Amino acid sequence: VHPPCFVQPRTAEPLEYHRSFLKENCRSDGRELSEFRATTLNIGSISTADGSALVKVGNTTVICGIKAELTNTTVETPGKGYIVPNVDLPPLCSSRFRPGPPGEQAQAASQFIADVIESSEVIQTEDLCIERGKLCWVLYCDIMCLDYDGNVLDACIIALLAALKNTKLPEVIINTETSTPEVNLEKKQSLHIHKHPVGASFCVFDDSILIVDPTSEEESLSTAQLTVVTDEEGQLCSLHKPGGTSLPGEKLQECISRATTRQREIQKLVDKVINSVKTAQ
Amino acid sequence: MMEVCGSSNVTLREFGCEQSLLSRPDGSASFIQGDTSVMAGVYGPAEVKVSKEIYDRATLEVLIQPKVGLPSVRERSQEQCVRETCEASLLLSLHPRSSLTLILQVLHDDGSLLSCFLNAACMALMDAGLPMSCLFCGVTCAIDADGQIITDPTAAQEKQSRALMTFAIDSTEHRVMMSSTKGSFSVYELQQCIAVSQKASEKIFQFYRDSVRRRYSKTL
Amino acid sequence: MFSTLKEKVGEVLLPGDEFSFDTDDTISLTEHVKPEKVVCGPGLRRSGDRLVVCKSGVLRHKQPNLFWIESQQRRYVPAKGETIIGIVTIKSGDVFKVDFGGSEQASLSYLAFEGATKRNRPNVQVGDLVFAQFAIANKDMEPELVCIDSSGRANGMGVFGGGGLLFKVSLGLVRRLLTPHSEIRSDLDQLFPCELVVGMNGRVWVKSSSIQQSLIITNLLQSSDTMTASQRQQLFQRVKQGPL
Repeated sequence: VHPPCFVQPRTAEPLEYHRSFLKENCRSDGRELSEFRATTLNIGSISTADGSALVKVGNTTVICGIKAELTNTTVETPGKGYIVPNVDLPPLCSSRFRPGPPGEQAQAASQFIADVIESSEVIQTEDLCIERGKLCWVLYCDIMCLDYDGNVLDACIIALLAALKNTKLPEVIINTETSTPEVNLEKKQSLHIHKHPVGASFCVFDDSILIVDPTSEEESLSTAQLTVVTDEEGQLCSLHKPGGTSLPGEKLQECISRATTRQREIQKLVDKVINSVKTAQ
Repeated sequence: MMEVCGSSNVTLREFGCEQSLLSRPDGSASFIQGDTSVMAGVYGPAEVKVSKEIYDRATLEVLIQPKVGLPSVRERSQEQCVRETCEASLLLSLHPRSSLTLILQVLHDDGSLLSCFLNAACMALMDAGLPMSCLFCGVTCAIDADGQIITDPTAAQEKQSRALMTFAIDSTEHRVMMSSTKGSFSVYELQQCIAVSQKASEKIFQFYRDSVRRRYSKTL
Repeated sequence: MFSTLKEKVGEVLLPGDEFSFDTDDTISLTEHVKPEKVVCGPGLRRSGDRLVVCKSGVLRHKQPNLFWIESQQRRYVPAKGETIIGIVTIKSGDVFKVDFGGSEQASLSYLAFEGATKRNRPNVQVGDLVFAQFAIANKDMEPELVCIDSSGRANGMGVFGGGGLLFKVSLGLVRRLLTPHSEIRSDLDQLFPCELVVGMNGRVWVKSSSIQQSLIITNLLQSSDTMTASQRQQLFQRVKQGPL
C-alpha cells in the first residue's frame, strides 16, 4: 500500500483527508477497502458469569456476560424460555456518550441484537424450558462496550455468540415430592448452539464508495451504514440499514458476499478459541 | 438480476392520505394502509436547543408514539430508521442551526407499521414545504411458509410469515435507502423482495402524486 | 429544457422531479444562438446540469424566464426585503428582539426607525407589534429587521397603534392577498371598509369600525384559504346579505 504523497491535515479537513486515501483505494490506517481490523477473542473472562467473552475488533472492545436464572414460563409461551439481551454504551467507551439513561444508539443496538437472536435462532428457546408451563431458564446477555472505535454491532454479535458457546447450565431436577427445583451444580451442560450468526458492517462514503468495518471516525463521516448478518448456511438473518443514502443492487450483493466470507472466518476463530480452552482444561 | 419472476402485479391494500389536517403543526398528514393508520406532524424549521445545535445543518428529531403506553426500545429503533431515512432525503444544509421535529402517532396497527410510518413521514415533510432532494416510500414484504411474497401484509399475515422485510425506496433511482428485516431468508429471496418493493414503490409514488394534486386542485 | 418546463406550468410537481438542460442537437453556424437561461425561484434548485424540484406545489412562470413552485407552506423562512409583522419580545440595550414566526428571533436596532437618533429613541415596548422589513436574511446569519426604507423614510413601517386584531393565515393566502390585482382583496373591499396589514410571514392585522366586523373579516380570510374562487364569492355574498 502506497500512501498518497500529499494529504490534508486530519483535524482541519477530516472528510478531505479520508477522501484522499480512498482515491488511492486504501484507508487512513493502511487497510484495504474490504479489509477487517484484527479480531481477537477471549472467552471465559468473567469467572462469576455463566458464560462470557471479550472481543476486540481493532480498538473496539466489547465484553459480553451471560447470566442464567430460573424463572416461571410466560403464559403466551409455556414451552419456551427466553433471552434478554442488553447493549450498554457507557460514557467510559467514548466521549460521544453521556451518563444517564441509555441513548438512542444503545437502545437501537439492543433491539438489533434481540432481532438477530430471534431471526437466526442461534438458540432454540425450547431448549431453555425445564418443565412446560412452569419452569424455564432466562438468559440475561449483558453486552458492554469498553472502547468505542466504530463497528460496535459486529463486535457485539461475535461477543454474544462466543459467550453463548461458553455458557454452561447446571442440571435442574424437579423434586416430585416437594415440587421444588433442585440444582445440581456438579453436572453442567453446554448450551446447544443451532446457528452461528456473524455480522459484517459497511459504510458508504460519498454515496458510492463502500468500506468495510468502519472506525468511529469513518462512521461519523459516512453517508450511510449497513450491517449484514449471515449464518453458516449462507442464509441472511438481517439486512439492517437504518436510512442514509441509497445503495444500488450490485453494491448490496458485494456486501452480502463479503459477509459470507466473514462468517466463515469468525466461526473458525470462535471454534479455535473454544477448542483451545477445552484442551487447556 | 432485479427482475420479478412470475408475479408482475403487486397488490397493496387500500391506501388513503390526507395532508395538512392539523392546525398547529407546520405540516401534517395521516396515512392509511388498509387498517393500519398513522398520523404525522412536523414542526420546523424552529428554534433549536443550544445542546442540539449543528452549525451546518438542521437537527431532525423523530418521535414515535405507540397507541398505548410509553415508547419502548422497539420504537427507538424504528425512530432511528425513520430519522436517518428522512435525513438522507431532506436538504438539511439549507436550514442550519434550526430544529425539525417529526411526530408519528400510531392510530391503529394492522401490520406493515414501519412502512406506514415512512409514508406518513414523507407526506408530512412534503406538506411542511421542507426542501427535499427526493421522495421516499416504505414497502413491507412478508415471505410466508410456502415462499410466497406478500406485499403490504396485515398483522395476521406478518405473524404467519417466515421472514419480514421493510424497505425504504427513493423516488429518483428506486434504490434501497433503508432496510430492516426479521427472520432468515436466502439471498435470492432478498433480491426478489427488493424487486417487488421497487415495483410497489412506483404505485405508491403515483399515489403520492395523485393525493398532492388533489390537495392543490383548488388553487390550480 | 425551456419548452419542457413551460409545458409543465400550472401542474403539480413533487420533490425529486427533474428537468435536464439538454442543448439542441443541431448547432447553427450562421445564427448566433443565445443560450436560454432559467431563473429559479423558490422550490427549484440547480444541481449540475439539471433542474430539480425540492418542494411540492404548482409550477408558476413569469415572463421572460422566471420559474418557481407555489406551495402551501405554513412556516415562514425569512428573505431579504420582505415585509413582516413581528412581536417585540426583548428590549436589550441597543436592539430589540422580534419574533416573526421563523426559526430564530430577528434583531431590530432602535436607530432603524424614521427620525430616530441616539437622543431621540423610538417608543417601543415589549409586546408591541412592528411592521418591518428584512435588511439581512440568509441561512448563516441572524436576521435583521429595519423599519425604514433605503431613503430613511418609514414608508408605512413602524410600531402599530392600539386596537386591531392580529391573526395567522397560510403563507399561500398571504401571497394571494398581496398580488397586484388580488381577487380576494377586491371581494373584501365590497364588504366593509377596513384597515388591513399583511405580513409575508403569514400574520395579518385587521382594524375595522367594530370588533364584530374585524372578527368577521378574520373568519372569512381564514376560511377562504381552502376555497375555490366561486365558493369564496358565494360566501362573501351571503355575508353581505346577512343581518349585519
